[in-house]
Amino acid sequence: MTKAVSVWLLPALLMPYIVFSQENPAKNTPAPTVKTGTDNIILSGRVIDDKTKAPLPGATIHIKGTTHEVAADEKGAFKFVTGQRLPSVFVVTNVGYQPREITISQATDIVITLHETNSQLNDVVVVGYGTQQRKNLISSISKVNAAEVKELPVAGVDAQLQGKASGVQINSNTGVPGDGVFIRVRGATSINASNDPLYVVDGVFINNTSLQTVNTGGRATSPIADINPADIESIEVLKDANATAIYGARGANGVVIITTKRGNYNAAPKVNIKAATGWAKAAELWKLTTGPEHAELVNEFYANSYQDALTANDAAGITKYKYLPFRALTDNPTATPAPRGLPQDQNTYDRLNKLFRTARLSDYDISLQGGSKATKYYLGAGYTSQEANIKPIDFNRASFKLNLDQRVNEKIQVGVSNSFYRTYRNQARSGDGPAGGLLQSALHTPTYLPETNADGTPARWAGFDNLDVLINNYDVNTISLRYIGNIYADAEIIPDLKFRTSFSVDYNHYNESEYWNNQTQLGAAPTNGLATSIQTQNTTWINEQTLSYRKNLFGGHTFGILVGNSVQSNSLRTDSLSGSGFPNNSFRSIASAANRPSSQKFAKGNLVSFFSRVDYNYSGKYFLEASIRADGSSRFGANNKYGYFPSVGVAWRIREENFLQNVNWLSDLKLRASVGLTGNQNGINNFAALGLWNGGAGYPDVAGSSDQPGTAPQQLGNDDLKWEKTRQSNIGVDVGLFNGAVSVEVNLYSKYTTDALLQLPINAISGFNSYSSNAGEISNKGYEVSIISNNIRKKDFSWTTSFNISGNTNKIEKLPTAVNYYNRDWVRLQEGHPLYSFWLYKQQYVDPETGTAVFEDVTKDGSITVADRQILGSAIPKFFGGITNNLRYKDFDLGVSFTYQYGNKVFNLNRFFGEGGGTRDANRVLLASQLARWQKPGDITDVPRLTAYGNNYTLEQNSRFLEDGSFIKFSALTFGYSLPQRIVSKAHIQNVRLYFIGSNLLWIKKYTGPDPESNVTAVQNVQGLDLGTPPQPRTIQLGINVTL
Amino acid sequence: MNAFKYIVPVLAAVSLVSCKKFLEVEPVDSVSDGQTIVDKTSAETATRGLYRALSADGYYGVTFQSIGYLSGDNVQWTGSQSIIQQFISHNVRADNANIASAWSAIYTTINRANHIIAKVPNVTDPLFTQTLRNQLTGEAYFVRALAYFDLARTWGGVQLALTPTNSASDKTGIQRSSLAETYAQVLSDLTAAEPLLPETTNRVRATKKTVWALRARYHLYQKEYALAEAYATKLLGDAASYQLVKPYSAFFANNVVNTQESIFELSYSSTYTNGHRNQWQPPANNGTRQWAPSDAFLTLVNDASIGGNRSALVAKTSQGLWYGNLYYRSPATDPAYVLRIAEQYLIRAEARANQPGKLTEALADLNAVRSRAGLANSTAATQNDVLLAIENERRIEFAFEPHRWFDLVRTDRAGTVLGVNDKNKWVLPVPANEVLIDGSLEQNFSY
Repeated sequence: MTKAVSVWLLPALLMPYIVFSQENPAKNTPAPTVKTGTDNIILSGRVIDDKTKAPLPGATIHIKGTTHEVAADEKGAFKFVTGQRLPSVFVVTNVGYQPREITISQATDIVITLHETNSQLNDVVVVGYGTQQRKNLISSISKVNAAEVKELPVAGVDAQLQGKASGVQINSNTGVPGDGVFIRVRGATSINASNDPLYVVDGVFINNTSLQTVNTGGRATSPIADINPADIESIEVLKDANATAIYGARGANGVVIITTKRGNYNAAPKVNIKAATGWAKAAELWKLTTGPEHAELVNEFYANSYQDALTANDAAGITKYKYLPFRALTDNPTATPAPRGLPQDQNTYDRLNKLFRTARLSDYDISLQGGSKATKYYLGAGYTSQEANIKPIDFNRASFKLNLDQRVNEKIQVGVSNSFYRTYRNQARSGDGPAGGLLQSALHTPTYLPETNADGTPARWAGFDNLDVLINNYDVNTISLRYIGNIYADAEIIPDLKFRTSFSVDYNHYNESEYWNNQTQLGAAPTNGLATSIQTQNTTWINEQTLSYRKNLFGGHTFGILVGNSVQSNSLRTDSLSGSGFPNNSFRSIASAANRPSSQKFAKGNLVSFFSRVDYNYSGKYFLEASIRADGSSRFGANNKYGYFPSVGVAWRIREENFLQNVNWLSDLKLRASVGLTGNQNGINNFAALGLWNGGAGYPDVAGSSDQPGTAPQQLGNDDLKWEKTRQSNIGVDVGLFNGAVSVEVNLYSKYTTDALLQLPINAISGFNSYSSNAGEISNKGYEVSIISNNIRKKDFSWTTSFNISGNTNKIEKLPTAVNYYNRDWVRLQEGHPLYSFWLYKQQYVDPETGTAVFEDVTKDGSITVADRQILGSAIPKFFGGITNNLRYKDFDLGVSFTYQYGNKVFNLNRFFGEGGGTRDANRVLLASQLARWQKPGDITDVPRLTAYGNNYTLEQNSRFLEDGSFIKFSALTFGYSLPQRIVSKAHIQNVRLYFIGSNLLWIKKYTGPDPESNVTAVQNVQGLDLGTPPQPRTIQLGINVTL
Repeated sequence: MNAFKYIVPVLAAVSLVSCKKFLEVEPVDSVSDGQTIVDKTSAETATRGLYRALSADGYYGVTFQSIGYLSGDNVQWTGSQSIIQQFISHNVRADNANIASAWSAIYTTINRANHIIAKVPNVTDPLFTQTLRNQLTGEAYFVRALAYFDLARTWGGVQLALTPTNSASDKTGIQRSSLAETYAQVLSDLTAAEPLLPETTNRVRATKKTVWALRARYHLYQKEYALAEAYATKLLGDAASYQLVKPYSAFFANNVVNTQESIFELSYSSTYTNGHRNQWQPPANNGTRQWAPSDAFLTLVNDASIGGNRSALVAKTSQGLWYGNLYYRSPATDPAYVLRIAEQYLIRAEARANQPGKLTEALADLNAVRSRAGLANSTAATQNDVLLAIENERRIEFAFEPHRWFDLVRTDRAGTVLGVNDKNKWVLPVPANEVLIDGSLEQNFSY
């Protein structure tokens, strides 16, 4: 522990004592209001829009200098009893309106008009450990209106953000609801530590690393899908260092702050009911060859290979390819391969349409919120059910939420946030790996092969399971029970000095079970049933204290300071059981199994942090902010336990300068700049720095004995292991035009990561393959532009357009040795290239004369060797973003959203397998695209001649399968109708809205697979590998929203 | 309030201490590498861990074994990973993932052996007898000898790592040794192991007899025929311990383990399973049938006058797919067969046939193996015929064990038989990534 830390530590340690010493005198004394002895009077009136004269329900009226506050009802009316003497000053606020301070001298029929602000200048933006008004913001923060995205039928709020926040790239990976999404805030900064942003829900740092351990073919679930989007009030994405440095060692990948709904003091109870139902279906599937086409292609492959075997004088080949496999059953019946009948006699079996379905979606939410003078509450309950577009995968979530705040006295407020979630998933495998794979079975089985054997039993081909057996016998499911909660106390120690202490918990019990009965490949004889049951418990507790002081000093100087400390501990424990050898399919409990291996894992990581921020501004014109966080982590080497993360930002609100006073069209102009350091420690093993041996390497001492315990080296230690550091600089400009009708935000940033955490490969002669080290450097440079335009704003008609575009250039600046990922090494990290780069042999063309694929001979040595593999593109897009139009005409509303992405590459592994040229014969499907193969001299195609010889189909890492993944997606169409007020108010209902939402309605893409966002694996550093996952569905939903 | 003056520093001090402790979290399922081989028990557990490395998937579990037979002419590729085809067509590329995993699995084994060789002799523990200490050290020497032998026959001369690795920089700057130096290391380790080990029969661990069996093979590879014959004879003379079990399938069928056929086999259990069956068995039996017996081999093994009862090595599904059936158990507890008595017969046969005047004795050894397979005696008469008969016998006898490729290479026959005329291809490429990571490691010529 260094001196610098102690400096931060002392105030933090002092805080609790200061609080209690200050708190006591206030406890039983009544609030020191400015009571003057006059009798209580009743004040009443209305709050209305200054232009439309429409009532403004929910506007709050606060008497300045007191804590007395009321909210306007649905007619905009308010009434309260006060001891204040007239005239007094009211502070009136309403979301989307300019706040007003007015002096009131009458008691009744007060009419307060508010002016609507088009710009978000007065929006309150949540920042780390506080809030700010957007006009005072130095940081780069995207705020997403939760109401706009929450109806999209994807399970997690992370996936809902696609195209809504600039600088945030989101891909859905699969059409499986509740699966992990790919989310990068201003690019990827890390190789082996996590690249996911930090998620903070109501001040709780929540776990966003999947707890999944069962094999679903490579994918992993998203813990963010546990959270019910209906409970969310707002989502802020913190992007630049000025915003994220306060989160120190976890801020480098951006921070997503989620604020859930709370009640309002003095607000009547409001009930919100929502019900929606919908349907989901894949928009496009793969085009496969028919049985006869498959047979023709395989015969052609055999015939060509036979010719080539003769040419090469290869005896084995001459024997192997002599007979066409698809020949009459009577033609050389005993020769190998055995005859399978002529091509035209083959049947075609459509497995895809057996697997894909029109899936059902439903969503129900109910909430109650309101408050009395001293208590406010939000109660929410929800149930969401989403079937995947393939059988039998499905997802549902039940949630319960209770947020409560209580004023203890004028100075102290306490409160709790509680969320309980139960998430159920049917997690059938759809991805990589033959056994149990749904799409492997449905898509990758050759179409000519029948679904049953001659004796009527289900047929299993090519190493894949039988599709019917899978659909009917799948029994893999997960139940996640999660509690996220927080209890806090706020105290105003002296005016303007606020203390807050909180204790938070994120607890997740994750229960996975699999049962493969003897009909399935995994459970078939001789295994005789295979079951696993895995219980994972992830627990995080956090204790935090902050002390903040804000003061408007003389002459327009405003000054604020925040200091705080945080202590956090996370533990992860996994107990797993498995069993095989069940008596029969009726027995499913592991207790009935003959073999019952078990296992256990435990990991724990602690974090101690101190942080501070100071800010200063002069008359809303000049802004300065600086912050620092010190983080101590148990994860790092003995020599590097602590890391320090400072940042500084400045802003100049030029619009406030005198020389722009008369420029009326310009409503805002602000320049911002910040620089700072953030860190990253997430995603690496808790014990990565330690040299370890583990058990679990048992072996018998004598023949026939059982295993005796054994030990073996597990990993090499590294006492110098430390934080990954990202230095980020940001410059930005905010422009408001035409009284805020148009607002534009532009940011340029540069991130440079050093000491990147890396499993650095070391030479295998050491006995290890890699060790944890700080070895790499990565840069990200990019731009973000977002524009919000209120095109038309009339009483009956409004039209808003929001648009954003972002581009990020990622580059590995330093990496001691290239590292390959995924089997066949499709992906390679190499100095000078971006992450997620594909490492391939470049097929230049297919020789029209010979049909031979010609590969680029980089080394010019006349043969194609490993040295000729090159990096030929990355899954990172050049730019991406979204555009949304929202229109309202009288009681109708319409939303139209598009998202887009340009320049990313996808490696089409489905096509790689399905365009194998017949080399895999009966072991793989052939896609219809294989029919475009070269057949005769003069054919111009990129699909080479079918043969087992040469490089045509044996050089696997062929650039032919690397495709352009750019797309424009019509991501959402919302159409709503609110019943006229005069009708609903008769039924004492505030609002009734009927709506329709369509999502993923149209893709414009070049990619030949159904979904360019597909990715088969949760393996870090691999993105854009499309294999065996269902595409995102096209959905439609109908819903009703009632407010009482 | 004055009390704060005293309370605060005390609290701060307490917090600082607990803060340091709070940041020191130790795992519960691993131990620090500073305290690994410290007494009798930990020496024993480390030695068991060594055998677990030897039996790992990358080594004698699947990958290394498959390199030995896929590169021969008995197996065809029938799965999805076309890197398998590279072995079969003798066009292995340096980025082939299987050579990388075999390479790394073998060196992982060597590192575990190095820990034992370096630490066990120095452990102070009154309960640790000298006999046991010698035995464990001897076992490590034996395993290291086997590992370098396998490296040498697959890749040629390799880098010699002879000390335990304690940090990431321990094994930098080591040049490749020549093939002769690598084999010299094998012999040196075998020589060191022999006096340390007991002369007992333990089919799953190394003993003096296991050392002899490997030495017989070693000397055959070195064409030191008299020595090969002498060491093979030591085992063949021990009829009480080692016998050719009849029929051929008796050494593996019906879930048997540790038969008299075995000199050294690696043990698996439901906890530590053997991945091998998964590659051979067809989907109908819950495997992937990544590879299968080739048509040419099927013809031979199913010919009663050539395969005899060794046709039990192959089987056919109801859909007519042939598959290899040496590894078939569930749970996958098939042993990995490292040294069998049949090999000692054929080693001695070959060693004798290569020495003047011992053709008859050579034929007797060959016929012992043929007779067990239910075949008539060989009719070979000349030295060349006998050697060819032995070669062909080995092809069938060890069809799915790592011999065929290595046999054809060591007898200079890989060109004639397999058509691999480029002798540079008689060793496999060093994994491309290893060459990339380790500046001192040279790639084999022509890769």
